[in-house]
Amino acid sequence: MELETDIVAHAFGSARLRLANTDVLVAVKIEVEVPFPEQPDEGKIEFFVDCSANATPDFEGRGGEELAMEIANSLAGAYKSTQAFDLSSLCIMKGRKCWKLLVDILILECGGNLYDAVSIAVKAALWNTRIPKVLSVHLDGNKVEMDVSDNVHDCEKLDVARAPIMVTISKIGDHCVVDPSSAEEQCSTASVVVAVSQKRFTTILQSSSGALHPTTLMDCLKMGCEVATQLDMALLQILMKTPSQKDIGFLL
Amino acid sequence: MPTDHRRIIGPENTVPYRLYTKLNSCSFSEKFNQAVKNGIRPDGRKLNEHRKIFMKCGVVSQAKGSAYIEVDKTKVIVSVYDPREIPKKTDYSLKGELYCEFKYAPFSCPKRKLHQQDAEEKQNSAILKRALESVVCRHEFPNFQVDVYVMVLENDGSALSTAIMGAGLALAHAGIPMYDIITATTLGIQGDVKLLDPTLMEESLCNVAVPNSTNNEKEYSNHGILILSMLSTHQQVSKFYQTGNLDLKDLNESIDILATATKDIVPLIKKCLVKSVTKNVKENAED
Repeated sequence: MELETDIVAHAFGSARLRLANTDVLVAVKIEVEVPFPEQPDEGKIEFFVDCSANATPDFEGRGGEELAMEIANSLAGAYKSTQAFDLSSLCIMKGRKCWKLLVDILILECGGNLYDAVSIAVKAALWNTRIPKVLSVHLDGNKVEMDVSDNVHDCEKLDVARAPIMVTISKIGDHCVVDPSSAEEQCSTASVVVAVSQKRFTTILQSSSGALHPTTLMDCLKMGCEVATQLDMALLQILMKTPSQKDIGFLL
Repeated sequence: MPTDHRRIIGPENTVPYRLYTKLNSCSFSEKFNQAVKNGIRPDGRKLNEHRKIFMKCGVVSQAKGSAYIEVDKTKVIVSVYDPREIPKKTDYSLKGELYCEFKYAPFSCPKRKLHQQDAEEKQNSAILKRALESVVCRHEFPNFQVDVYVMVLENDGSALSTAIMGAGLALAHAGIPMYDIITATTLGIQGDVKLLDPTLMEESLCNVAVPNSTNNEKEYSNHGILILSMLSTHQQVSKFYQTGNLDLKDLNESIDILATATKDIVPLIKKCLVKSVTKNVKENAED
């Protein structure tokens, strides 16, 4: 597995992940928005997945749309829980202004196990995301006035330690395997995707048609939980190691 | 996003009036205590009691197969159309396709739904498709597709599981070859309370994370919604879907609860199908 962060210049945070033959690029953009009236003190997060025909010829035309929608929805479901990702930190002024994270996921090459690759890349990109510091907010009549720091390095980082990691478990014959390649995906009878944050499940869904026995399902869930926890720990260790952006002068 | 220019969408910045009502202002624990009093729910059900179900086949005369299903206030109508050639398909597919469309009627939810499918409806369509794919003998009609249209007339919670059951019933009524009878149920979890077949109100309660007040650390209780569809004779789970935040122990318990609940509905569906068949036979004999 190969992971790079901070590679898109115009994005607030980005990551690229290469997992065997799967290649995913994730970039996070930030916009200022009005929060939902139902959740006035929370920000927003949205996921967009683009399965371009570059990745595999199957995605030609509208072929990838369905898969893209499924991945985007599963991510939205996994990040919805307050415990997994706290949206209240994205609030600028209650009911008036909030940050909206736009997470764009571009699938460059498709070699199986898309869900896992995408979720890891998204977590890394969110880790890398820097939100500009808001110096002051006040109400002027009915208009909100905001003062955002001009300094590029004066930013806040997001707390993504609890962000979910997704793991695909495929049932092939009598065995359950994790991290299936595209050939393995082809011959699996059923596959389950679990999103796990802090040993707790935030989303479970079946990514292909095919049924399984309840006990097999429970075994899959247990296995998924263990693998996701290990993966999460490994990812966080790597991310901690990456040097933070230092304020270096122009000539240095 | 492409917008719909032909229909009146209404002003964009309207807010549902419920935000200003009394119910919205009371705290979560008040709402939750109202919903579950001594293990009895407002509608008089126990925690693990399913609502009463009414179902009927053959309600749409134009469709090959159709079904109407009511789970108390949740009302769903499903129609299934004959296998037809897949439009714009060039290569040969060995297995037949299912096309599923899940739609809320504009007036079915507290918030008005637009004419176009939104993200939730698209997601539900995909779940419905996955759930049905493993119950239909798709090798019987290669290179053809069967259309399944689901319309939710009124949503009072558990709409998707009701839709899955309705679709199974409609497919059987249409004479599409199937392996088994498909049943589905929803389970809502909030803390230690597991609510079988939640209403819309209970679903919304199960969607929020409540911080545990005993600990200073930020810790949240279990919460979530699970949907399980089951082929009961074969003991196979055709679709399992969960959102929220749950640990493994809770999940295993919930799967057991859901599996038994789905089993209980099977006789109802059988009865309904037998009824429609005998009615058909009688009508043919009279002719």
